[in-house]
Amino acid sequence: MIRHLFKLIWNKKKQNFLLITEMLVSFIVIFAVFTLLVFFYRNYKQPMGFDYENVWAVKFERPPGIQSNDSLKLYYETVSNLLHSMPQIKYVSFTSGNFPFSPSSNNNSVSYLKNNTVSNFYIVQDDYADALNLKILEGRWFNKTDGISKDQPVVINKTLQEELFNNEDPLGKILGEAPNTMKITGVVTDFKDKGDYRPLPQGLFVRMDTSNYRFIGTLLINVQPNTDAAFESKLFKSLSNVMGSTIEIVHLTDQRKSINRITLVPMIILIIVAGFLIINVALGLFGVLWYNISLRRGEIGLRRAVGASGNDVSKQLVGEALMLSTFAIIIGSFFAVQFPLLNVFNLPSNIYLIALLLSIVFIYLLVIICALYPGKQAAAIYPAVALHED
Amino acid sequence: MIPLQNTENSNYPASSPSSTMIRLKNIEKVYRTDTVETLALNNISINILKGEFLSIMGPSGCGKSTLLNIMGLLDAPTKGEVKIDEQKTGQLSDSLLAAFRNKKLGFIFQSYHLINDLRVLDNVELPLLYRKLSAKERRRLATEALGKVGLSNRMKHFPTQLSGGQKQRVAIARAIVGRPEIILADEPTGNLDSAMGSEIMDILLNLNQTEGTTIVMVTHDENMAQKTHQLIRLFDGSQVQ
Amino acid sequence: MLKNYFKIAIAVLKRRKFFTFISLFGISFSLTVLIVLTAFIDNGISANYPDTNRDRSLYINFVGLRKQLPNGSSNWNGSGSYYFLHHYTSMLKTPVKVAISSNTSATNTYVNNKKLVIGVKYTNDSYWDVLNYVFLEGKAFNIQQIENGDHVAVISEDLKNSYFGDVPSVVGKYIEADNVQYRISGVVKNVGVTNLYASADLYLPYTVSKGNYKDESFIGSYNAILLANSKADLPKIKREYDQLVSRISPGKDWDQLIVHADSYLETFTRQLFGGGTQRNSGFATFVWVTTAFALLFLLLPTLNLVNINTSRIMERSSEIGVRKAFGASSKTLVLQFIVENIILTFLGGFISLVLSYIILQIINNSNFLQNTALTINATVVVYAFITCLVFGFISGVYPAWRMSRLQAVDALKKV
Repeated sequence: MIRHLFKLIWNKKKQNFLLITEMLVSFIVIFAVFTLLVFFYRNYKQPMGFDYENVWAVKFERPPGIQSNDSLKLYYETVSNLLHSMPQIKYVSFTSGNFPFSPSSNNNSVSYLKNNTVSNFYIVQDDYADALNLKILEGRWFNKTDGISKDQPVVINKTLQEELFNNEDPLGKILGEAPNTMKITGVVTDFKDKGDYRPLPQGLFVRMDTSNYRFIGTLLINVQPNTDAAFESKLFKSLSNVMGSTIEIVHLTDQRKSINRITLVPMIILIIVAGFLIINVALGLFGVLWYNISLRRGEIGLRRAVGASGNDVSKQLVGEALMLSTFAIIIGSFFAVQFPLLNVFNLPSNIYLIALLLSIVFIYLLVIICALYPGKQAAAIYPAVALHED
Repeated sequence: MIPLQNTENSNYPASSPSSTMIRLKNIEKVYRTDTVETLALNNISINILKGEFLSIMGPSGCGKSTLLNIMGLLDAPTKGEVKIDEQKTGQLSDSLLAAFRNKKLGFIFQSYHLINDLRVLDNVELPLLYRKLSAKERRRLATEALGKVGLSNRMKHFPTQLSGGQKQRVAIARAIVGRPEIILADEPTGNLDSAMGSEIMDILLNLNQTEGTTIVMVTHDENMAQKTHQLIRLFDGSQVQ
Repeated sequence: MLKNYFKIAIAVLKRRKFFTFISLFGISFSLTVLIVLTAFIDNGISANYPDTNRDRSLYINFVGLRKQLPNGSSNWNGSGSYYFLHHYTSMLKTPVKVAISSNTSATNTYVNNKKLVIGVKYTNDSYWDVLNYVFLEGKAFNIQQIENGDHVAVISEDLKNSYFGDVPSVVGKYIEADNVQYRISGVVKNVGVTNLYASADLYLPYTVSKGNYKDESFIGSYNAILLANSKADLPKIKREYDQLVSRISPGKDWDQLIVHADSYLETFTRQLFGGGTQRNSGFATFVWVTTAFALLFLLLPTLNLVNINTSRIMERSSEIGVRKAFGASSKTLVLQFIVENIILTFLGGFISLVLSYIILQIINNSNFLQNTALTINATVVVYAFITCLVFGFISGVYPAWRMSRLQAVDALKKV
């Protein structure tokens, strides 16, 4: 029977060409949507990797008057000391502008021997790991004792470790080439610092020193639970006075919401639009199959006469539609597998494969749903009437 | 019930019919619309014996085709009973009816009803698709059937590339490919000129004589009808001869 | 004749209710998406409150410094500094006025232990002339107050309500931000967040900013808007500014200074499509990309319609055969069919306008974009009109062509 359906469609390939094209385009749209959904879902399932509940970020601009590294150092220390004197504050760390859930990022290339990759660089201080409750997997976070080394002390995360070292022990290894060398003191868990739906980034934490003062623009503060707005307003005043510049305090919980929104809103719009496109296509498919039945009444009547039951006829029509979609799926899959093969967009290939499988199932289901009712209608055609119409 | 009149003919089949193939008993068919009720068939009873060649004649709209459809189990009578090969058909389900048609019956139509998108061979194979047969076996049977109607050289053509007579021969090949015991032909020569028409008629007669196939044919052509064993005339839904 | 076509078309559409529904759904949905999208784009780029002079304004929002290195180049990009923008634009002869204002930066203020996030913008005096703010009370600060470094402020209606509550007048009252008390000189109507250069809650004289406005480096946090006498003067200003910039030395650390006076849309296209050098305004690329996107988006609904139309025509083949047999030429039939389709698409277009209106109202009321009112304006309707025509034509022509090739005999005979 399959061969028969194939012949039937193949011999009508001209008429079926547009229908297959339409299914093909729908398939590709669905594939794209599923790829995104699978990607976001997998990211969503990953643990966040850090605590942000009681963490605030203070964004500031460096006052224009302070230029030299020495005066900057003093400036940062003054601010730090002020904050440490407040009992509500547990941990404090200056950081580069790419603090967790901020929209900005800082990427640089990093190399170990011949391995080269691009990683996020976070310029942070000794209390950063405690402020965010990052779990140390191996070694330790850097501290004051590392300050004197000629190699800049750094901590890398798990993803970067896997990328650069495979099974090798990363502790104490030197990254980069002279004169900009970095020594690994520890490995931490991955953290989703760009929100729930973003992938785990490769990350490298650099200890803040005079060489990177100019990248500093944020202050992370971990406060005691239940610290209220009254304290925040007091903190704002004190900081504003000490820092002498325009500052803004944001809560990481709010930042998380807004950065998730940046990811989710386009996705929701995309899903709504794609959803309507698919409804559109489904209705069209339904219409075409429906009209085709009245075109093929004679043929259906004949099949009934030579021994096809009503069920056979409706199975045949659904089968034809499935066969058509199979053509579209084969062509579409050919394009789809190029993505993992050519490594476009740098996503893990199993995301594409899962998306591909889901799209295939989806298209088949869609086609079955669209063909079922027209098939039923066809089965109900009275052969005696259909055969004597013309 | 009007008694049957068997017209004795010279070309009566060699294997004399012994039992009834098709038995119609008190068949009545009424078509209803909202306002009108049309009596298409009125109390028809016919016995057709195994190996018999029966023709049905009558003016347009007299119910010939309806009668043929009822014999072919394509249509159900409003009243009465259809027995084929001693099997009551009134209670059979749709799928059993389909299987029954597939095994016992072959159809030939005035307008051929070939599927234009399938090649000749595939058209002939069609009834076999609804049986459990291997593709190879189907092909063999279809080729054989096409050989019988003299179209072995047209197997790969599409119906649109054939003449009317050739198309009807394909339709005959399709009707006989499943070796049915009964062939129902609805004006098989109606669309053909007389030369082609008699060619088709010869094939049917030959089939009846050599294979012993029971044939029921609706026709307008008195000459054709005279070549068959038995003739029934219908007028306004009633049997008049 | 046309009236006749019209009558037949309406009759056919009425008779084929299911088909009409599918077609209308497809057309109106696709057009709705396009109209809503264009409404967003239109809101983003066309002149709206308070930037109503957008068509005779040029914007300087990007300053880049380049240094060629052996392996690649070193870049420093950002907005301009107040000094740089003010110093050089004041040398231009063609612009009538130059507004200079800082990027809006966020800060907090606390009222009764409730945190308010406010956008702060530092401006010069011309800013209030170039942009047509609607003052609900009071007025803008003047050049004298700016030169004195007075702590005066213009605030938005939103800020007034959240800071002071429901009071009739706040002019002369003080508002605290960044630990400084500012005396309010005026309250303006809210500006939508999509209006990047004008939206803020607290407007202050640039002289009171904590940054150093006298700093002579190129890069800073300010933008300039050059207002021309008329649209015709814009190319002249561009030329004048480009010539001026070519004479500025980028200093010893850099090889090249890149800065342009761009139309509003070009400021975006230069960033998006201008390529790494920012030398190309990227406008042409922008047009290509948006057109390609729209076409791609329309591909599916169009294919859908073509498919349905083809089936529908084949279903009607016997009717076509009869018509041909009675002397209708292929041409009249094709015309009839195309008229049918165009009527259908226009009907769909009308529905999509209604749907878009509803959707835009919902978006506006949800305050998804703060203080932004998306509207269907004339431009969008024209876009929709053109799309309708194209849609109807494409989805009608191919099936009509198929139909015209049907021979009368074949059409009469089926199977």
